Amino acid sequence: MATVQVSEAEKVYILHGIRDDLRVDGRGCEDYRHMEIETDVVSNTDGSAKVTLGHTAVLVGIKADIGKPRPLVPNEGYLEFFVDCSANATPEFEGRGGEELGTELSNTLYKVFNNKHSVDLKSLCICPGEHCWVLYVDVLLLQCDGNLYDAISIAIKAALFNTKIPRVRISTDEEGGKEIELSDDPYDCMRLNVENVPCIVTLCKVGHRHVVDATLQEKACSVASLIISVTHKGTVTCTRKVGGGSLDPESIFEMTEAGKRVGKALHAPLMKVLQQEEHLGKKKQKVGFLG
Amino acid sequence: MLKSKTFVKKTRSGGVMKIVREHYLRDDIWCGSEACTECKQESTVLQTDACMESSLCSYPHYLIPDTNVVLHQIDVLEDAVIRNVIILQTVLQEVRHRSAPVYKRLKDIIHEKEKHFYTFTNEHHRETFIEREPGESANDRNDRAIRVAAKWYSQHLKTSESDTDGLKVVLLTNDQGNKQKAEECGLLYLFTCILVEEYIKSLTANPELVDRLALSNDDKNEITSSKVLFPEHLPLSRIQAGIKSGSFVQGTFRASRDNYLEATVFIQGEGEDGTEILIQGLQNLNRAVHQDVVAVQLLPRNQWVAPSSVVLQDEGAAKDDNVEEEEEEKAVNITARKATGKVVGIIKRNWRPFCGMLNVSQIKESIRHLFTPADRRIPRIRIETRQASTLAGQRIMVSIDGWPKDSRYPNGHFVRSLGGAGEKDIEQEVLLLEHDVPHQAFSQAVLSFLPKMPWAITPEDMVRREDLRHLTVCSVDPPGCTDIDDALHCRELENGNLEVGVHIADVSHFIRPGNALDKEAANRGTTVYLCGKRIDMVPELLSSNLCSLRSNVERLAFSCIWEMNHEAEILKTRFTKSVINSKASLTYAEAQMRIDDTNKNDDITKSLRGLNKLAKILKRQRIEKGALTLSSLEVRFHMDSETHDPIDLQTKELMETNSMVEEFMLLANISVAQKIYDEFQECALLRKHPAPPPSNYDILLKAAKSKDVAIHTDTAKALADSLDVAKVDGFPYFNTLLRILATRCMMQAVYFCSGMDNDFHHYGLASPIYTHFTSPIRRYADIIVHRLLAVAIGADSTYPDLMDKHKQSALCNNLNYRHKMAQYAQRASVAFHTQLFFKSRGILNEEGFVLFVRKNAIIVLIPKFGLEGTVFFDSKDKVAPSIVFDEEIPGVSVPVPDAEPQAKKPKLDH
Repeated sequence: MATVQVSEAEKVYILHGIRDDLRVDGRGCEDYRHMEIETDVVSNTDGSAKVTLGHTAVLVGIKADIGKPRPLVPNEGYLEFFVDCSANATPEFEGRGGEELGTELSNTLYKVFNNKHSVDLKSLCICPGEHCWVLYVDVLLLQCDGNLYDAISIAIKAALFNTKIPRVRISTDEEGGKEIELSDDPYDCMRLNVENVPCIVTLCKVGHRHVVDATLQEKACSVASLIISVTHKGTVTCTRKVGGGSLDPESIFEMTEAGKRVGKALHAPLMKVLQQEEHLGKKKQKVGFLG
Repeated sequence: MLKSKTFVKKTRSGGVMKIVREHYLRDDIWCGSEACTECKQESTVLQTDACMESSLCSYPHYLIPDTNVVLHQIDVLEDAVIRNVIILQTVLQEVRHRSAPVYKRLKDIIHEKEKHFYTFTNEHHRETFIEREPGESANDRNDRAIRVAAKWYSQHLKTSESDTDGLKVVLLTNDQGNKQKAEECGLLYLFTCILVEEYIKSLTANPELVDRLALSNDDKNEITSSKVLFPEHLPLSRIQAGIKSGSFVQGTFRASRDNYLEATVFIQGEGEDGTEILIQGLQNLNRAVHQDVVAVQLLPRNQWVAPSSVVLQDEGAAKDDNVEEEEEEKAVNITARKATGKVVGIIKRNWRPFCGMLNVSQIKESIRHLFTPADRRIPRIRIETRQASTLAGQRIMVSIDGWPKDSRYPNGHFVRSLGGAGEKDIEQEVLLLEHDVPHQAFSQAVLSFLPKMPWAITPEDMVRREDLRHLTVCSVDPPGCTDIDDALHCRELENGNLEVGVHIADVSHFIRPGNALDKEAANRGTTVYLCGKRIDMVPELLSSNLCSLRSNVERLAFSCIWEMNHEAEILKTRFTKSVINSKASLTYAEAQMRIDDTNKNDDITKSLRGLNKLAKILKRQRIEKGALTLSSLEVRFHMDSETHDPIDLQTKELMETNSMVEEFMLLANISVAQKIYDEFQECALLRKHPAPPPSNYDILLKAAKSKDVAIHTDTAKALADSLDVAKVDGFPYFNTLLRILATRCMMQAVYFCSGMDNDFHHYGLASPIYTHFTSPIRRYADIIVHRLLAVAIGADSTYPDLMDKHKQSALCNNLNYRHKMAQYAQRASVAFHTQLFFKSRGILNEEGFVLFVRKNAIIVLIPKFGLEGTVFFDSKDKVAPSIVFDEEIPGVSVPVPDAEPQAKKPKLDH
């Protein structure tokens, strides 16, 4: 992961600030940085979203493909994740430098999203035991400025919201052979219910307090952080501790509570923004990557 | 200025894919009108004074047809009267998807300058491009795009006013709904939308155009006999499902020539072999027309029937009823039963314009008439015309529009008149069209690839070429031959062996792969020889001059040179590109005379004698191996040099020299086939002749049995031997008759690509491998073989298509088709000239032979004229003699009447 060098004096400055609920960039401990979301940015995907959080920028594209359901859950589709840490984001990712981080991120994303509580996997089923939709979620890191998990999760939620899966029909001939028929109307497609899709809130333990959406400098002062995925109702679906230091149970509890609070507050405006954008329809002005 | 816009499209290839294509819109697409001052166009297509005399539109106007109008009324659009038409890109694209032939015709019209057809790329124009809206079908979107473009045009022509005196656009459609929608926006923007039928009817100056209108299905004044004659066709989706599940089979519909109530459907099987399903009766034929691709349902085994032996020509609806009776009393012969089925749906119509004659309706004022196509396998077509009296007695072309299930005949419309029936040129045109022989003059593009005259051999040509100008080469051909593609030589070597050379015109030197000349030749496939006319595969400069191996000029050749001993065993074979200088162009008769004339002893004669001696040995060897000598009647006409009418005819005589040339050609072909196959296992172009299935021999065996002669058909050798001994005393022609029948039992020889097949055997020639190398001037296959051989010996470079077995296989299919059609055309031409010949002769008495016996007719052959015809026992004015028909050994217990030529006239004349 991208790191910055922070001197002892700086660390003390940051620590003291956080202690007083005043962070270097003027935020409070539970505030996010400025966030921008744009959906439908990559035309040859079925759903896509680009999220910038501070200077962190991620792009998520979702492609739907027809595959075979997993034998254990024949009536469900599934998601596949791939995180590409491009060398654009930071020179450290050059070559195979980003591979480890990519695997780590995608493993976490599996845990968080690929279950029937987060996404209605049953709606991805086309024909039980034979065909289902497989959503290939491709995450591309464009720039790293801390708090990747949160930015990725928001982008995934936005992209899932944006995903339009072509509607298919199963036709059966006399012999019982099944065939998939695709509607010839490009507007005839299925949308996903993203209500229960969780967002990830990362809490960084800095000194005795914890902060949301840590910058790289704050991260350097932190010993450990907790990743919590929270639904819109405030249910915690997954937690994970990262970082070298240890957390005492009490602060874990505190951090979880804070995470639930922040997460809950995050969902409502996110959905509102997404719906607003959707309503704009064709009048929407595209920003894209040069904006 | 360039604007870019992307639009999305989803297609499916296996799974589901989303395809995104960039779509660039531009604002520099001009309207193409002469009247426009705004557009910065360099040349205009549409005229200012676009006047067509229409009672509906008195003002000058441009026409914008929608897709369906183009698809259905292309015959009308082709008429010279229709000018100043804007073809929208949307329309062009849709037409291209829906019908390749119509697209080609449309493109041809657009290229014609006098037609003033302009293609407007509305899909890329900034103001006329529209995106598909939610809930809108692709068709609706295209209709809307057409309307938007029409609207744009009318506005555009209005703003650039000044000198446009009320120039308007007229949208032509045949869809009421589209018209309505267009009128809604048309009211505002002043463009008119007219149904195409109404528009054409309003063209007061050209009433004959109405005849060319295709009848649309919802035409109300249809003759509807209340009873539904045919079962409904199944929709395509059900046909496809049925074919998948095996309940239906797909095949090509082939109507019978002899019986209009019978047809076979040929099912393409694995590889080359296919099976045939018999279809009998109007109901089961279910409106399929010859060459359609149809879906067939097999009937249960107990309903299977044997092919009927009745000759039936459709005489009109009145006959329907007794036909059904006849069907019932069909002799139920278990062994002769064939798989029988019924047509349940049409997968692809293969309708083309048909040539034929109009049967003018008995009712005077009627505008409905029946049309009888020249091809007997095509049903009669009902057309509407107001010019029946002028069209009677003319050869006309008619297109089928549809065949409703309550109509006895398909509906069609008049396309054009070719000219008076019986005129030689017209009839020739008819048979070229009917046999799909490309016979237009060569285009400028093709001619541009011809070598510049005067042509001479350059030193560059001599690189990789052997100089054989010193050899005593001569050619032997039929009299009057101008495209000489082979020449021969034979000389004694110092070691006592003989050197024999076959020199073939080096056409591949002049026709380079891939250029327009090459493509045209590949499409034509073969030169077609009609009586008194030759339709060349390559332009005359090549066929009769530069490639023709005439005497005493230097010509490029591809030579195949063997060293043989006096027993005609090949000791050495080599191939080389060469330059030769033929010393003499002889006819068969001249060559024969030289050989026979013991006084002559010049080099040419000696060479000929050597060749003749070897050829005899070769022939004997070949026949020993089991090659068949078959016979078919070929007649030659003596033409009047002034009128080009036939004044006499004779069957072709074969001389020793004919077979001499033939033997060496066969030898060269076999040697070359071996060489190119050794070199290119995957992509050698070869020719094979499959052994016929035993059932094919039935007619031959039955005929032989009638004279108590046994014929063995187990192997080619057995057949050849038994044919040799099959002789009846006092009936010298019997053997020839049997050989004629044997020829009919044979399969067609075909070209194929060695990589796509593993059976190479040539049955007729009893050769394990064979190809065509010796006539590149008149056969395209030989050109390919030349190229392959040239690559094999390092004399020329290769190119990708030559090594692509799929492309070559496709080429073979075309060549096989063209060859078959050329053969048919040739026969038809001979038949026509025979008719001409008899026209002035009146009644003649000639000896005839019964070839086949049918229930109500016999097929008779008159060897003198090479003429074959059907003699019905019961003609309209004569009472049928009582006859007993025996299915087993077809024979009738009435004395065979002396065939009278007149009885044969109906064959072509109708």
